[in-house]
Amino acid sequence: MTQPIDTSIYADVTEAIRSEAARVLTEGQVSAVVGYAAARRKGSAQPIVISDAADAGKLVFTAACVNNLAVYLTKAKKEIPKKGKIGIVVKGCDLKALVGLMGESQLKREELYLIGVPCAGVLASTIQPNTELTSDTIAPKCRECDAHLPVGCDFVPGIALRIQPQLEEKYSAEIARLEAMPPGERWAFWKEQFSKCIKCYACRQVCPFCFCEQCLCDRNKPQMVETTPRPAGNFAWHIVRAMHLAGRCAGCAECERVCPMDIPLNLLNRKMARELKELFGHEAGFEVNDKGPLTTFTEKDDQSFIK
Amino acid sequence: MCEHSKNIYLPNLATIDAIVEETPDVRTLRLVFQDEQVRDNFSFRAGQFAEYSAFGAGESTFCIASSPTREGYIECCFRASGRVTEALRGLEVGDTLGVRGPYGNSFPIEDFFGKNLVFVAGGIALPPLRTVIWNCLDLREKFGDITIVYGAKTEADLVYKHELKEWQQRGDVKLVKTVDPGGNGPEWDGKVGFVPTILEEAAPSAENSIALVCGPPIMIKFTLPVLERLGFSDDAIYTTLENRMKCGLGKCGRCNVGNVYVCKDGPVFTAKQVKAMPQEF
Amino acid sequence: MQKYISEQNFNALLDSLIKAGKRVVAPRMNAGTPLYEPITASGEMVMDQLPRRSGKEAFFPLCEDIMSYEKEGQKIELKDIDPARFPETVLVGVRPCDAAAIPVLDAVFSWDYKDEFFLERRNKTTVIGLACTRADDACFCTAVGLSPADPKGADLFLTPLAGGGYGCVTYSDKGEALVNANTELFKEPNDSGALPLAEPQSETFDLKRVKAWLDEHFEDPSWDSIATRCVGCGACAFVCPACHCFDIVDEGTEKAGKRRKNWDACGFWKFTHHASGHNPRDLQPKRYRNRIMHKFKYYDDKFGQTLCTGCGRCIRLCPVGIDIAAVLEAIMKDE
Repeated sequence: MTQPIDTSIYADVTEAIRSEAARVLTEGQVSAVVGYAAARRKGSAQPIVISDAADAGKLVFTAACVNNLAVYLTKAKKEIPKKGKIGIVVKGCDLKALVGLMGESQLKREELYLIGVPCAGVLASTIQPNTELTSDTIAPKCRECDAHLPVGCDFVPGIALRIQPQLEEKYSAEIARLEAMPPGERWAFWKEQFSKCIKCYACRQVCPFCFCEQCLCDRNKPQMVETTPRPAGNFAWHIVRAMHLAGRCAGCAECERVCPMDIPLNLLNRKMARELKELFGHEAGFEVNDKGPLTTFTEKDDQSFIK
Repeated sequence: MCEHSKNIYLPNLATIDAIVEETPDVRTLRLVFQDEQVRDNFSFRAGQFAEYSAFGAGESTFCIASSPTREGYIECCFRASGRVTEALRGLEVGDTLGVRGPYGNSFPIEDFFGKNLVFVAGGIALPPLRTVIWNCLDLREKFGDITIVYGAKTEADLVYKHELKEWQQRGDVKLVKTVDPGGNGPEWDGKVGFVPTILEEAAPSAENSIALVCGPPIMIKFTLPVLERLGFSDDAIYTTLENRMKCGLGKCGRCNVGNVYVCKDGPVFTAKQVKAMPQEF
Repeated sequence: MQKYISEQNFNALLDSLIKAGKRVVAPRMNAGTPLYEPITASGEMVMDQLPRRSGKEAFFPLCEDIMSYEKEGQKIELKDIDPARFPETVLVGVRPCDAAAIPVLDAVFSWDYKDEFFLERRNKTTVIGLACTRADDACFCTAVGLSPADPKGADLFLTPLAGGGYGCVTYSDKGEALVNANTELFKEPNDSGALPLAEPQSETFDLKRVKAWLDEHFEDPSWDSIATRCVGCGACAFVCPACHCFDIVDEGTEKAGKRRKNWDACGFWKFTHHASGHNPRDLQPKRYRNRIMHKFKYYDDKFGQTLCTGCGRCIRLCPVGIDIAAVLEAIMKDE
């Protein structure tokens, strides 16, 4: 049965973001604010960087504000000027990614002005922008969200999020389904999915943690993973990426959202996240942790995989 | 393009006949086509380029550096800087590589008959002009004065060192060679100074003259104004551009500068054409 | 010629082509995503969704071998690919925005050097187009001079009829040959009117005016504001019916391997990167500018055609909402 999701606070959140952005820009507290603005298609939103307080009126927060804006603050995006403090609008999932980046010394907390938004959810990638947010149209990642209210921001509108219906966790169910499969069946599942991959690298380009200025797979001396979009190389690409994200991925699920071929990439990342939680007690959250599980070693670390 | 196939991407096979180590990282390869028909029929014009295959690594784009007047072989000259050029550097005499071409437009040599020629080149950019130089020297009586201004960062970085001697010793060419300040060894007998400066000093006459320039962007940037000051019009200055290429024949969409495809509309351009392009190269 | 074919007969037509060993490529669901792919039975077709990719891969595959090499000592042996091996294909259910790009691509693939990988596949493919009765606000075929019932690029064009089945019109020898080979399935046209066609809500773009603006605005600060948010993936280029840039790579070992031609995109930072480290299009706004310039200026300068059919896929699928129709609207409003 379709359940509506209450997004009535979004209009007030929009107003709050606008006035706060205008304030911090006027007072010179930040040199720019990265946020969302309305786009041409009805009901859609797009990332925007404003540096003039007069443009603060362009900022919005709606169920179409799907992007994780953290990607624009990484060193991979050279075009965004990083002079002085930068303001950024963050949902809880986006903030987890920023926190991860801080833990990896990619960002300094004092160089950011975090404008957090209480979020009831955003639309799924296969849904047209001008659609009501319901249990049928909500993004899969939002069904398991534990970060509706970002913590540790410089500003969060004092607007209480209305109680939302408890939604069935689709990722957990799907992971359980795959885990229960014999390896041959699981292989067939992923082979079918990866046969659609066109190596557009949209998954990599929107990921805040794929900030390497030259991706390993873009190097050709040697060519570690073949570039050709066919099963062998596609598998290698996605496994390499999942491994490189293990212990870092914050679960924003942008990779899955942007995949033009609907490959359920977040399943891989969520599965890795579970492994990391089980083996090393690690979970992405709102606390900066500069001792990432795969970048530090303690004697207590699980070594059961060494046979 | 391979004679016996409709596959425009299929290279001809060639054997490396000789290798010259021009500098520690620059090599000349002399190539002989393996197929007799190709060997007999392959022809090109000075300025054209080819795609050279190091099978397993890929293809790389260089001009055909030998003169079209020399039959039976072609030469290419390259610096080992990337995956393919490093693989090419690893090849030995007797090894096989691929040659796809000739591609691109060429220098309108016939338009230069009766004129004086001024060649200006820097470093690894001499090869695209060297093909024209030998083409003209092999038809010497058709041209007026020939002046060559060539320089590199250091003595060791000069390419075609033995040919520089040849040009110096012929009576019918004026060679001005130079190295950047600090690049000269104790026995250096040429000039010391950047190429544009030395060119201005040499002051070749622009009357009835064509200038051919090839060098790194910074050298071109400072050389064109010198030629302008000497009285060369933009129509009388020729250069060749290079850009990242793959297909070499106008389809892969990569080498365009504005609406100009370097592989099809070039690589030879006049200064007038270059100035009309968006500065995106 | 004009004909009528019922839904049932259309399915029978496809099934008989499949049985005769022809490769029939039609929209079908692949692991939950609609794509133009080979089908094994007419029942696999899905006709109510726009496939996620354009179907250009029927002529211009995502990846294809262009030769193979084998090394023995100092000798190399090359194996050529024979275009005669490309299968006879019927491409079915092709929307006008996808079909219209096919003749546009002919220009570049036959520019002096004939790319038989593309052209031979073209020769061997019969395109059955299908009119659209639905559109969303990303569609803008009408804005670039096409329409939901434009038969450009189709050998045989189908229009869904109110009374069921399709009105068919042939536009080429291939289309006629298909009809003539199946006269028992194609009937004379009946008086059923067409179903109402889709109405993409988009202002018409004066492509001459857009090109004139692009001729003068290579350097313009608006490229930064349009494209700074572009993240440099290849999604827009790969789903586009008209984009055709490609890479050539050797894959294998020094001893043996293949040379392949794979899709590439000008949005990638590597696309124009020299081995020396120099990159003429080193920042994303420059790369995005090249995309717009190529589509609406360079291809016109070279071949007199526009490299966009208004399918809207790049708009729907861009990770950061870059909207090519919004870019064109802004250009139209400038000056």
